[in-house]
Amino acid sequence: MINIILNEWKMLVRNRVFIYLTIFFVLSLSLVVWMGINQNSAQQEYRNKAQRHVRTQWDNLEAMNPHRAAHYGSYAFKPNNLLNSMDGGINDITGNVIQLEGHVQNEIVYSEASQSLSISKFGKLKSSLLLQYVIPLFLIFLAYGSISNEKETQRLKLLIFQGIPMTRLVFAKSLSIWIYGSSLLLATVFIQSMLIRSDSEVFRRLTLLVFSYGSYYYIITSLATYFSARLKNNTSALSAILATWILWTIFLPKIWGNAVEKIHPLPSRMAFKAAMKEERSKGIDGHNPSDKRREELKNKYLTEYKVDSLQQLPINFDGIVMQEDEEYGNLVWDKHFGSNYTILQKQKGLYQVSGLLNPFASLQSASMGFCGTDMIHHLDFLKKAEDYRRILIKALNDKHAYGGSKTGDWGWTVDSTFFRSVQGFSYESPKINDQMNYYLIDILCLLWWGLLVTFMIKLNTNKKIIL
Amino acid sequence: MTRYIEIAQSEFVHLVRSPFKTISLILFGAAVIYGCQNGYDLFKTHSNEIISIQANNDKSIANMILQYEEIEQGTIDKPRRDPTIPYWAVWSTPSHAFKYPSPMMVFSLGQSEQYGYYKRVTNWSTIFDSDLAEEIANPERMAIGTLDFNFVLIYLTPILIIILLFNIGGLEKDLRFDNLIYLNNLSKERWLLARFSFYYLLTVLLLLMLITPYALFSGVLQSASLEFFKLLLIISLYLLIWYTAFFFINVSGNGSSDQAVKMISVWLVFCIIIPGAIHQISSLKYPTNYMTDYLDVSRDQSNKIFELPSETLREELLKAFPILQTTLYASDTSVNKAIINRSLSGLVNMLNKDVARTIEWSSEKKNKFIKSFSLLNPVIYFQNEINALTDTDYYAYKRYRSDIQEMIDIKINLILEDTWNKVTVDKEKYIQYVESFKKI
Repeated sequence: MINIILNEWKMLVRNRVFIYLTIFFVLSLSLVVWMGINQNSAQQEYRNKAQRHVRTQWDNLEAMNPHRAAHYGSYAFKPNNLLNSMDGGINDITGNVIQLEGHVQNEIVYSEASQSLSISKFGKLKSSLLLQYVIPLFLIFLAYGSISNEKETQRLKLLIFQGIPMTRLVFAKSLSIWIYGSSLLLATVFIQSMLIRSDSEVFRRLTLLVFSYGSYYYIITSLATYFSARLKNNTSALSAILATWILWTIFLPKIWGNAVEKIHPLPSRMAFKAAMKEERSKGIDGHNPSDKRREELKNKYLTEYKVDSLQQLPINFDGIVMQEDEEYGNLVWDKHFGSNYTILQKQKGLYQVSGLLNPFASLQSASMGFCGTDMIHHLDFLKKAEDYRRILIKALNDKHAYGGSKTGDWGWTVDSTFFRSVQGFSYESPKINDQMNYYLIDILCLLWWGLLVTFMIKLNTNKKIIL
Repeated sequence: MTRYIEIAQSEFVHLVRSPFKTISLILFGAAVIYGCQNGYDLFKTHSNEIISIQANNDKSIANMILQYEEIEQGTIDKPRRDPTIPYWAVWSTPSHAFKYPSPMMVFSLGQSEQYGYYKRVTNWSTIFDSDLAEEIANPERMAIGTLDFNFVLIYLTPILIIILLFNIGGLEKDLRFDNLIYLNNLSKERWLLARFSFYYLLTVLLLLMLITPYALFSGVLQSASLEFFKLLLIISLYLLIWYTAFFFINVSGNGSSDQAVKMISVWLVFCIIIPGAIHQISSLKYPTNYMTDYLDVSRDQSNKIFELPSETLREELLKAFPILQTTLYASDTSVNKAIINRSLSGLVNMLNKDVARTIEWSSEKKNKFIKSFSLLNPVIYFQNEINALTDTDYYAYKRYRSDIQEMIDIKINLILEDTWNKVTVDKEKYIQYVESFKKI
């Protein structure tokens, strides 16, 4: 086997076009990786500047009532993961800014896609674009004639006559091309890890990426070689593998993506808002003094503090009402946003199952996931931003209630020392080890395909069938 | 001419005898129908949602009118938000700005999934409010994209053409009888041209046949016939460009496989690599805008306005809205805090408009940059041309934002003029308010 692989490599290296193309690929990948890192760093710097700007404004707030500060609120800017430079995933089309304020859980807004004309349907030219579309196609071009050329020139009979088992020959041809694809992949990952500040988390993610892409390359080269062995000539082999590639990369992801949205439908924005508004109206309205539920809460506190009127309370009842309003609102947001998140995860799960038919879907999902740019990471950011909002608003409401003011004293203010004492929003992307359960199905599908093509070659490429 | 017809006839036989090509044609037809159906579904969803909001608004208006009658009859007390005060009357006038879908949306969803298409407008609204976010959708599905007709035309039709053409002239070379053909007093170029013309007509006619029923169902032929004919023109031109490029590949090709490899590489370069590179470069040059200027206006600068003393605010309002100088309150020297407070949205709106201009200008710079690559990036040029025809491109939504702004301005002007003239709103006045928003 090793001899055949070495022989294949010798033949490849003798081909000048192949050498030029390899140099071109390595240079392109280096340039693309470098551009991706630059773009990512510039965007991240811009994002950090925005986050610092907002924090400075918060730190320098003039003295104001804590509830007014809750309305003033803050903003969370979605950070870019380090490996966003490799695969942008959903980052171009999701929003980047989320307003964190009292009474409401806002949605993330201001996506890059909404700020200009439409450009590319397949995303930015990052290394993932080359690794997912260009290199597999190149591997197809190298593999489709690997056996059929031998058949057309009658060299295959000679090789078989020399005692090389047909299956071994097919595997060896396929592996020699796979090694080439994997070398380009490793070169990309190496350049990537050299140019960014890599830690163990980044290495873990890169290792998983190498495994996913490596598996996909194995599937694509093995299948192309298999077609080359089984079909009657070069043209048939090329037609079959190109048709498969088109089906996998262009047709199925879109069709199945649309189908899962129909199987697990999300509510329309109007229905979503109306349902939340309806449930929210059943809670306390912090700004409506004639609200019945507010009366009940008032009586509870008057009894607890054994006083007759709100003025006699040692605390500010307005702050209590606001926090009660928040707690109720949080239940409503958790229910409705939670339901949406559950539907989204069901959709993702169902989409990932399509990997059984389409390994490209598994590759895409794994690539986004391991680069930290998929929906799971996005939802994690949204959840952490919401957790922070709740901490921030509770801190403000508690200050309002227990900070020394009396009920109805809306003129009471706290100064910037207090505002500065409230921690700013910081976000760290989740560790891949804790998220692996989401991507297990992608890995399993890639393994399933790897085994399938191996068995296809093993069982269907003996000399009786081929010759 | 007879010879051309003969070549076309034999090409038809060649096509029918090739299961790979016929299956591809059938699959392609299915993709066109699927794409148009997706567009039609979204068009219907948008239209129905808008109708439903309008129905709710009509109900709300009827309730408000009833409330005015009851207040005038003295059967109910005025609520906390007194509708006889212009500010609350205008606030309670349901006014939604809609981005009405063009029936041409059937042929391209464009950027419609990246924007909201309805918005409840108040005097405090801005054109960058978070309720203008896109419909709730799976972001991964959006990143993968929807299979609409535009996608089928721009990206899949060239692939179909490759399948149809890769062995035209190549098969004869593979089997080494190409020279026999040229012996028949026929040049290679003319022979290929005749065969290519057959496939060109076939694809154009197939597309026309498949999209015309959708144009009929969705009312395109009644309300956007000109746009539809422009679309047909774009389709013809776009396909012609691909056929021309592939013609040159086949003229100089060395067999079917060689031609297929070259064709798919050209597709890859023009459909994936060049657009991806321009996308990346434009992001490097114009990073995503975090809208901090707008955020500053909506928080800090607005707050500064709220902090100003009433006298100063009154002066600012008179300066910003000269029309107020002839109002009742303008001739009054006393300071009425309620009037001033109800007018503040006017000053905030001025700031919002200024910052919106800056943001739109910076987006326009990015668009100009993208458009400057049209020659190098023809695929995206055609894609955006179709989005423009179907009213689903960036500019369609920019126009929608202008409509929203116009509505905000009307709300503010109504509030300012009637508040400063100390108008008491009754049923008739309220109906006037309602009518003033129907004009947009």
